[in-house]
Amino acid sequence: MSRELSRRNMLAAMGLAGAAAMSLPVLSACGVGGKTNAPNGADQVAGGFDWKKASGATINILQTPHPYQKSYQPLLKEFTELTGITVNVDLVPEADYFTKLNTELAGGSGKHDAFMLGAYFIWQYGPAGWIENLDPWLKNSSATGPDYNFEDIFEGLRTSTRWDFSTGNPLGTGGQWAIPWGFENNVVAYNKTYFDQRGIKKLPDRFDDFIQLAVDLTDRSQNRYGIATRGSKSWATIHPGFMTQYVREGAVDYNFNGSELVAEMDSDKAIDFTKKWIEMQHKAGPTSWTSYEYPNATGDLGDGKAMMVYDADSATYPKNKPGASAQAGNLGWYAGPAGPDGNYKTNLWTWSWAMSANSRNKLPAWLFIQWATGKDSLTKAVEGGTYADPVRKSVFDTTFKRVAADQFGYLEAFETVIGSSKIQFTPQKKFFDTTQNWAVALQDIYGGADAASRLRSLAKTNTSKVNL
Amino acid sequence: MTTQTSKVSGSAPEKVETAPRRALPEIPIWRRKLRPYLLSIPALVIVIGILYPFVLGAYYAFLNYAAVNPSPHFVWFDNFKSVLGDQVFWQSVKVTSIFAVSATAIETVLGVGLALLLNRSSTIGRLFEKVLIVPLMIAPVIAGVIWKLMFNPQFGILNHVLGLGSTFDWLSGNTALMSVILVDTWIFTPFVAILVLAGIRSLPKEPFEASEVDGANWFYMFRKLMLPMLWPYILVAVIFRFMDNLKVFDHIYVLTAGGPGVATRTLQIGAFEDSIINLDYSRGSTYMLLLWIIVFITARYLVSVLGKAQRRAAGAES
Repeated sequence: MSRELSRRNMLAAMGLAGAAAMSLPVLSACGVGGKTNAPNGADQVAGGFDWKKASGATINILQTPHPYQKSYQPLLKEFTELTGITVNVDLVPEADYFTKLNTELAGGSGKHDAFMLGAYFIWQYGPAGWIENLDPWLKNSSATGPDYNFEDIFEGLRTSTRWDFSTGNPLGTGGQWAIPWGFENNVVAYNKTYFDQRGIKKLPDRFDDFIQLAVDLTDRSQNRYGIATRGSKSWATIHPGFMTQYVREGAVDYNFNGSELVAEMDSDKAIDFTKKWIEMQHKAGPTSWTSYEYPNATGDLGDGKAMMVYDADSATYPKNKPGASAQAGNLGWYAGPAGPDGNYKTNLWTWSWAMSANSRNKLPAWLFIQWATGKDSLTKAVEGGTYADPVRKSVFDTTFKRVAADQFGYLEAFETVIGSSKIQFTPQKKFFDTTQNWAVALQDIYGGADAASRLRSLAKTNTSKVNL
Repeated sequence: MTTQTSKVSGSAPEKVETAPRRALPEIPIWRRKLRPYLLSIPALVIVIGILYPFVLGAYYAFLNYAAVNPSPHFVWFDNFKSVLGDQVFWQSVKVTSIFAVSATAIETVLGVGLALLLNRSSTIGRLFEKVLIVPLMIAPVIAGVIWKLMFNPQFGILNHVLGLGSTFDWLSGNTALMSVILVDTWIFTPFVAILVLAGIRSLPKEPFEASEVDGANWFYMFRKLMLPMLWPYILVAVIFRFMDNLKVFDHIYVLTAGGPGVATRTLQIGAFEDSIINLDYSRGSTYMLLLWIIVFITARYLVSVLGKAQRRAAGAES
């Protein structure tokens, strides 16, 4: 038998090899994943505290365009003057921000020394060893100035960025993984001018009345609809208005039975609320709700298309500033509908500063974080006019209350919810997977799936995932 | 040849002075033996460059490696059991299959039709030929952004032009898959058209002239002459598009991120979600390994079909 390779077979083999090569990148794309055992850098800092301690250094920071970031941008030169440290800023839009951060941290390059971080991310980045525990930095008087006063930051925010990563343990335990910088209460912003025109004086304090109002405000022929909320296929769809009203209605995400977490998205209260939420989207929400993210929702409020938004107060606040939107000056705020027992439980989000465990510039990065979350810079940022909800009580009670005094209902809404505002999610290491699953379930129900059976399936899946 | 040469050269051959042949320098044996290995280094580097991440990805599929579990250990086939037992995976297989088959079929039919039209030499044809490649010059991510704006029910141009009002949602659960197929068709039909057009222009003219003389009509000539000869070119386009469509990610992710729900969640998007969003590298790698197996088997089958078609076009096989 001839062993000679014919030209045809050769071509076929080459074609096959080419096809295999074409398909190889499919798999190689997944070759990611880094880990770190970098030691904490706080012990390296000794001597008296001095802002000039790292003079001449350069740090890279990663941010997403946000009113907080915009308020601080002009202040960065003051930091350089104070410390002699140069700051390079990289900006990534929010839709891609955490994807970028995930891949960078997984790669372990430590390219960005400090970055903006939401509290939920600590639950996944912490166990991976990607972020520095800032507790030793706070406790080291050589690294932290005597005037810093960490306790001035609202307690709920300090605990929201602290966890020991043990399933079932509450927030507030373990290391301090980030320092809160700004935060958001999820309340309702509305078009006050239009409400006044319609003679709507009393804002609904029950969820059923709220839905009815949203429906009444909707007129598709006028391109006007009642309520804008997030609806995209993302964990971010769950955490603002949805989670806030979900807990006000008495539902919870998980229960800890002593050994494992049990998902409760299929409880009677959860099913009942979810049905109403989805019904509200159909009757009074944006027509492309399943792709809606916060810029869409707040943009529609600013353009006069959405009459109400149930989302972060600090995201709607800038829309009311002169020149910021078509409806600037026309907006008002209120806490949103209370729960059946009159509670105003509210889910909060905090933008914080975290440090990469792989940073090669830990002292300058810490000096930056300390400056950014310090009283002086925060006061100046608030004076700028678009920085809402500063994390320090001293700044909130003085400067912010003065600056926001002319924003109708803003401070009242804040005072109404602040006592019950905290992270309402149960901390767990599969947060993004399970919470995105929750958003997918909402989209499926929006698309016609039966709410009860879909939520039962979600709860079953999530229970198995969170306890892995 | 030898005879002829001797005839031309005549009687006495003229003495031609040739320069003394320079002796080649002696190459040491070790260098001669080493040369083939040195020559194979570039190929070796490429093979390693491709295979290393592939093998690493395959290796991850057998671990329980995730960001929250940075010290993984072997779990053998647990990831495969978990993924294959997950309804969402099979939904992704379904979405990927529908997308790949539908998009490839539509692009092929439209591409062949466009190529036939463009083959008729005219000013408009030449103009279209140039305009046609514009979508191919746009990155699929950018195309996704452009189409997302056009799909917007409130201010998008499509609802306005088609008179669909402000409530028809192109990216809803029922319409999203159709819409992403439409976008893929817009981007890649020109690719098929250009490939097939090149094939048409390379066909011999004689068989067509002969059948025209015999009174054959256009459709008969297309069916009996052009299509069999064109088949290998069409198949090449089909192979490229089908492989690419099985691995589709970019414009779908921009348009829907795999939603609403799981309506447009392809296998690639599933792998991305698990690896990059949920930071579960092993589960993401399992998705990718399964996709690779699907792509490899399909590629092997399509290449064999292409081989048969080439042989048939060359008249080697009936």
